[in-house]
Amino acid sequence: MSISRRDWLAGAGAAPVLLRGLERPARPKIAAITTTYFKYSHAQHIVDRFLEGYGWNGTHHRPEMDLVSLFVDQVGSNDFSRDRATRFPSMKIYPTIAEALTLGGSKLAVDGVVLVGEHGKYPRNEKGQTRYPRYEFFQQIVAVFRSSGRAAPVFNDKHLSWNWDWAKEMYDTARSLGFAFMAGSSLPVTWRTPSVEMPLGARIREAVSVCYGGVDSYDFHGLETIQCMVERRRGGESGVKWLEAYRGDRFWQAWQEGVFPRDLVEAALCRSHTLTPSRAGFNNNFPSPEDMRRLAKNPVAYLYQHTDGLRCVMLLMNGLVQDFNFAARLEGRAEPFSTQMYLPMPPARTSLANFFSPLVNNIEKMFLTGKPSYPVERTLLTTGLTAAGVESLYRNQVRVETPHLAVQYQPTRESTFWRT
Amino acid sequence: MKRIAVITTVYRYLSHAQHITDRFLVGYPLNGKWRRPDMKVVSLYVDQKPTGDQSAERAREFGFQVYPSIAEALRCGGDRLAVDAVLIIGEHGDYPRNEKGQVLYPRHDFFRQCVEVFEKDGRAVPVYNDKHLSYSFEKARWMVDSAKRLKFPLLAGSSLPVTWRLPDLELPLNCQIESALMVGVGGSDAMDYHALEAMQSMIERRKGGETGVKAVQMIEGEAVWKAGWSEELLASALSRSDSPQGWTITDGRTQDLVGNRELPKLVKNPAAYFIEHRDGLRTTLLMLNGAVKDFTFAARVKGLRGIQSTQFFLSPVPNVTYSACLVSKIEEMFETGRAPYPAERTLLVSGVLESCLTSRIQNHQRLETPHLAVRYRPPAQSQYCRA
Repeated sequence: MSISRRDWLAGAGAAPVLLRGLERPARPKIAAITTTYFKYSHAQHIVDRFLEGYGWNGTHHRPEMDLVSLFVDQVGSNDFSRDRATRFPSMKIYPTIAEALTLGGSKLAVDGVVLVGEHGKYPRNEKGQTRYPRYEFFQQIVAVFRSSGRAAPVFNDKHLSWNWDWAKEMYDTARSLGFAFMAGSSLPVTWRTPSVEMPLGARIREAVSVCYGGVDSYDFHGLETIQCMVERRRGGESGVKWLEAYRGDRFWQAWQEGVFPRDLVEAALCRSHTLTPSRAGFNNNFPSPEDMRRLAKNPVAYLYQHTDGLRCVMLLMNGLVQDFNFAARLEGRAEPFSTQMYLPMPPARTSLANFFSPLVNNIEKMFLTGKPSYPVERTLLTTGLTAAGVESLYRNQVRVETPHLAVQYQPTRESTFWRT
Repeated sequence: MKRIAVITTVYRYLSHAQHITDRFLVGYPLNGKWRRPDMKVVSLYVDQKPTGDQSAERAREFGFQVYPSIAEALRCGGDRLAVDAVLIIGEHGDYPRNEKGQVLYPRHDFFRQCVEVFEKDGRAVPVYNDKHLSYSFEKARWMVDSAKRLKFPLLAGSSLPVTWRLPDLELPLNCQIESALMVGVGGSDAMDYHALEAMQSMIERRKGGETGVKAVQMIEGEAVWKAGWSEELLASALSRSDSPQGWTITDGRTQDLVGNRELPKLVKNPAAYFIEHRDGLRTTLLMLNGAVKDFTFAARVKGLRGIQSTQFFLSPVPNVTYSACLVSKIEEMFETGRAPYPAERTLLVSGVLESCLTSRIQNHQRLETPHLAVRYRPPAQSQYCRA
C-alpha cells in the first residue's frame, strides 16, 4: 500500500465526513459489480433482491435504496442482466467498473458497491483455485474512490480472494481508506434449525462442521459455518496458528484414530435433514462407521488450531450429507451444542435461494448506516483458512503454519442470523 | 421395555407406516442426538401388501410377528392384550374415495377393533392415530369418546404442528387473534388436512382456548379471488414461501405474488376454506396449487406489531426429519401415558375438513356446524421442534 489513511484524509480535504458515511442521501444509490448474471447465480440472487424486493419480516420488503448501475464481466447466452435492465430502467448497465461507479461521469456517483465475483468462466490455477477476479474488481473500485476523493461502503460476496496476499491487501485498503467493508457468505446469517445462537463468552473446547461440496468453494461455507459461532467464545477471535488438511485414505486413517471428535461429528450429523440412508428401503437411519466410509466420496477435512487453543474441524462429506451442520463442545455443558445452518437450496428443495435474503438485508443495513453489520475480519480469517486448506492439500496434506492468520476481532453482541 | 403393536394399511418405502415405525426400529435424530427409543415393536398388522411391501422383511430383521388380524397383533397371538402401546397408521394404500373426494382409510375400523380388544381384555393402552381420526366426524367423535370412556391416552394428527418453523414463531398463549390465514398445497383430502391442522395448532392458543366451529364454507375457482379473505395476510404468508412458481421458475427472480397479480395466472383451481369459530374468530385456508409448494401461515394478533407469519418447514425427502419431531411426541406419550397435546385438535380438524368437503359438493354453500362445538385447551408449552 502506498497511501495511508492519514495521507488519504489529508489529501481529500473535506472528504473525511463523506468517508465516514455521515452524509448520505435519503435513498442511497448502489452499484453492482458482477462476474456473470444467470438464473441462480450469486449475482442474480443478490442483485434481484435489490431490484425486486424479497420476503422479509413477513412482508415483501423493498430496499430503501436504488441499485442504479450494473457491471457484468461475462455475458453468456443464459444472461438475465439485459432482461433486468429492460424491466428496471432505473438500473443501467455499464461496460466498465469505473463507469458503473461514476454512472458514466468522472467521479464516484454511488453510495454503496456490491461486488459479486462468483460463477463465470475463469481459469483455475495449479492448486485448483478458480481465479475469480474479486481482487481485480476491488482494485478498480478503489481506483475510482481514490480519483474521486471519496469512498463508499463495499460488500464482497464470499471470500475476499483466492489469494491470501490479495485478500489482506483488500482488507488493508478498506481500513486505510476508511470505508465500511463487509464480506462473506450466507451461512452465518441464514435460518438455523434449531434457531439457536452461541452464547456470547462461551468457553468452547472444540467445534466441527459437517458439510458437503468442493474444495475452494463450499469449504469456505463450512469454515464460515464454524467461524460465525466460535468467534463468540470467551475472548473473541484470536487467529489461527496452523491448519492441516486430510483427504482420501489419510482422512479415514485420522477418522479411525479419533483425530476428528466423533461425538461432535455425530451431533452434527443428527442435525442434518439430508443424511443419506445407508440401507435400501430405509429413509433415515444413522450410518455405521463402515457405512460412512462407503457413502462419503473422497472426503476432505481441515483441522486447525486457534491461537487460544481452540481446535476446529471442517469436514466435507459428499455423499453423506447435503447441508451445513455445526456442533461444539462447551465447558459446563454435558451435551454438544449443535444446529444446522439451513439453506433452502433450489432447484431441488425450493425455487428461491432465500438464504440470500438475510445476506442482502445485512448489506442494506451497512449501506444505510455506513457500518458493517458484522466484522469483515471474520471473512478475512475464513479466506485465509480456505487458502491454507487448499495449500495443505496441494502440498500432500502437510500441516501449514499460519502466522499470517493472527486475525483478532470481537463479534457483534447482537445476533445477525435470520430469526424473524 | 414398552411393547408396541403397529396397525397399518401398507408398509412400503416412504409410506407413513415406514417413516413412523422405522423410527422405533432404528432410531431417529432428536435434539442433536440419535435417539433410540427404549421400546420394542412386537407385532404388526398390515391390511394390504402391494408390490414393495416391507412387512415380512422388517419382521424378520427386527424380530417381531406379522399377524393376520388386529386382535391377534394386539394379543401377540395369545388370548390377552400383550402390548403396552398401539400405533395406528392408516395412510397410503388402495382405498376407495367417497363422493366428497375423501379416501376411506379404515382408521376408525382399525381403532374400533383395538377398542374391542381393550374392552374384552379389561385393559387399555395408549394409542397414536396418524393424521385425521376419520373421514367422518361421527366416527372420529366415537374414537375420542372411546378413549375417554376407557381412559387411555390418545394422540393423533400429523407432523405439521410439530415440525420446525421458519421463523421459530409461537403465538403467545391467551393472545387475542383478530384473523388468521393459512396457505397450503397438494390434493384433497390429504394435504388440506395438513394445512388445516397446522393453522389449528397456532390459533388454539388464543384467549379462551378452542371453542369449536359454528360454520364453514368451501369455494373453488374464480370465486376465490373475489372472496373476502385478507390480502394483507396472504401477502405476509407468501412472503414466507421459499417456492414461488411462475417467474421464479423461469428466471429465478423473487416475487411479491400478491402485488404482482400473478396468482390468478398461476393457480388454475384455487380453493378457499372459510371457518367461523364459535368465539367469533374467522380463519381462511387457501389451497394455491401452482403458486407455491410450501405451507405458510399469517395472523393478526392484538397488541403485536405487524403480521405474525411463518413457514411450517417440510424438510426434504427421504429423511423427512419432520416425522422425527412427530415420533418424539408419540414416544413421549407411550412413555409417560399422557398425550402432549389433545386429540380434540385432530377431532375438530377432522370435522372441519369433512364439513368443508360437504360444502364443496353442496354448491359451495355455507354450512352451520353445531356438531363441531369441540372445546379444548392447548398445552401451555410449545410442542414443536425448536431445540
